[in-house]
Amino acid sequence: MSVLGFALVQFSDLIETMASSKKVITKEEWEKKLNDVKIRKEDMNKLVMNFLVTEGYVEAAEKFRVESGTEPDIDLATITDRMAVKKAVQSGNVEDAIEKVNDLNPEILDTNPELFFHLQQQRMIELIRNGRLEEALEFAQEELAPRGEENQSFLEELEKTVALLAFEDVSNCPVGDLLDMSQRLKTASEVNAAILTSQSHEKDPKLPSLLKMLIWAQNQLDEKAVYPRINDLASAKLEDPVV
Amino acid sequence: MVNGQQVSTGGDPVDLFRLASWCRSGPEWDRMVSEIEWEDEPTHLNTMNSSGGFNVVSVDKLSVSYPGTRSHGHDVGAVQANCAAPTRRLMYYFEMTVKNAGQKGRVAIGFTPPGVKMCRQPGWEENSCGYHGDDGMIYRGQGKGESFGPTFTSGDTVGAGINYASQEFFFTKNGKLVGTVNKHVKGPLFPTIAVHSQNEELTVNFGKHPFLFNFEAYVLEERTKHQTTIEKSTLPVNVSHWIVRSYLLHYGYEDTLNSFDIASKNSLQPAPVAQENSIEHCEAYALNRRKILRQLIRNGEIDSAFSKLQGWYPQTVQNETSTLCFLLRAQKFIEHIRVGELEAAVKYARAQLAKFFSVKLLENLLQNCIALLAYDQPAESCVGYLLDANQRELVADAVNAAVLSTDPAAKDRQGGVSSHLERLLRQLTACSVERRSLTSDQGETFHLHQALRAAGKRPMLG
Repeated sequence: MSVLGFALVQFSDLIETMASSKKVITKEEWEKKLNDVKIRKEDMNKLVMNFLVTEGYVEAAEKFRVESGTEPDIDLATITDRMAVKKAVQSGNVEDAIEKVNDLNPEILDTNPELFFHLQQQRMIELIRNGRLEEALEFAQEELAPRGEENQSFLEELEKTVALLAFEDVSNCPVGDLLDMSQRLKTASEVNAAILTSQSHEKDPKLPSLLKMLIWAQNQLDEKAVYPRINDLASAKLEDPVV
Repeated sequence: MVNGQQVSTGGDPVDLFRLASWCRSGPEWDRMVSEIEWEDEPTHLNTMNSSGGFNVVSVDKLSVSYPGTRSHGHDVGAVQANCAAPTRRLMYYFEMTVKNAGQKGRVAIGFTPPGVKMCRQPGWEENSCGYHGDDGMIYRGQGKGESFGPTFTSGDTVGAGINYASQEFFFTKNGKLVGTVNKHVKGPLFPTIAVHSQNEELTVNFGKHPFLFNFEAYVLEERTKHQTTIEKSTLPVNVSHWIVRSYLLHYGYEDTLNSFDIASKNSLQPAPVAQENSIEHCEAYALNRRKILRQLIRNGEIDSAFSKLQGWYPQTVQNETSTLCFLLRAQKFIEHIRVGELEAAVKYARAQLAKFFSVKLLENLLQNCIALLAYDQPAESCVGYLLDANQRELVADAVNAAVLSTDPAAKDRQGGVSSHLERLLRQLTACSVERRSLTSDQGETFHLHQALRAAGKRPMLG
């Protein structure tokens, strides 16, 4: 084999190795790519406004409108109402919450039997929490039992809730988690989502989804290339590529 | 980032073109958005690229028939679309209707590469794929077919599509999904239909008419599936909260920040890990002053902003021909125009703006500013974008960046010129663009602008 021929063979070997391994992108090259990305301030402002509005930071949203000139994608007054409902559930005033939801839009509960059931269930939980056992029993029979007959999953949840009555010391009972703050928060966030949906607004802010998308996009690119990653979202620090 | 930025503007702390607010609803942005979205789409059949195996039936070049009586293996009348299937999307799809299955019903639908022999059925040649009517089989570049779905004949509508995310072909019959097969081909693919026996006639639909198959729902289903996968990853506790907070800090939206902090204290937000990072105190630098400067500029009080800046951070406006000085001077000029003080505007331009004509980088913007003088209704003109609130925001952001650059701690800060949020979004976009370029330019990429618009106000499914 000639020298040239040998060199060619080696060269083609090299090409093959390169093709099978991942593309390596240096920090310098990557930063150039990052700089070429066009991100619009207006869009970032919208993203931030969307977060404030969806998470219910009504005063901050109002201030942000003034300071940045960004228009919220929902009537800010409705946030106040939504947050009042959420707060009522969180603090255990379920009757009050139901009334407020109906003031906002009676269709919300009419069209969400599951949500309505969960609110009623929460109401019973609050009665038990406050030691109003007789009322709780009456409420279960009159309001909850008929709904349990309509729906198997309601029935199971009803049974679980009624079981609370059987324990004198609820802190030691297997269904005691119903009395946790987390149960209130769960119901509250369900109401919150239903109100947002009724206002044709997404029930979750967009920012967390985009952050998850970033995690996913980086994992996907890992299969094809070695490049500077951001491993810590909070600091947004660009790491050196690990070759 | 900090270094690169300073090199490009010769030590100027403000790189105008690097500010997110530089991208705005001006002509430049509109051009960019249309470039992102633009891609050639098949509209008709390329009847010029023919083996002579088909007749063109209609002037719209959407229908063909088989002319002869021959039916040897090299007498097929295959015909491609006028261009390859677009790739910069999640999926592509088209349909054809069998008007007449002719003598033997050897009609087919599929995809073929450029330069393929047009006298052969899609799927018979390498790098092609076809669903055949007479046997219901799928052909993928080998002589032999694989059993796939039902046969199709006169009156049936069949469809062929590419799913770029899953790298699959999919086929439909009469509005129902028949199945999917692995896409083994890397390069461009042309939508292709073929006839191969007497009297066969086909009409293709590239989307001008509604498809029989609910393609939109299929795309949505794929998107939802995709979204579900993405949503599975977990985020550090409250990370969104802290990214928003640091954004407010970065841009000096102090009032918003205060309200946000008060409200979050009440809603039980535990302290995140992020606090240990430098987010907090380095971006709280000069917060109140940055807020005041921003307010003044947003109100059009440029003189006050300028003199405050001179008093607080003289180093930022020392160089009379710096980008920052230019932006402030130009804004002052724009404010004159806004209130119709044309004479004052001309006088001001002669005294303060003329000197910037020697700065190459700013020439374009300067010319646009001066052009405002030429219009009776400047706000309606092509340079009217200079009069909207976003231009003030741009100036305010430039001032903000200049003030931040005076922070002695700024030098150690990575990418200190942009907010965390911006850096994360840049990373997300760059990753998706890079991945596509390594995947034969197939599939969607992330663009914040589109993501915000697409999600819009549509309620979430389910």
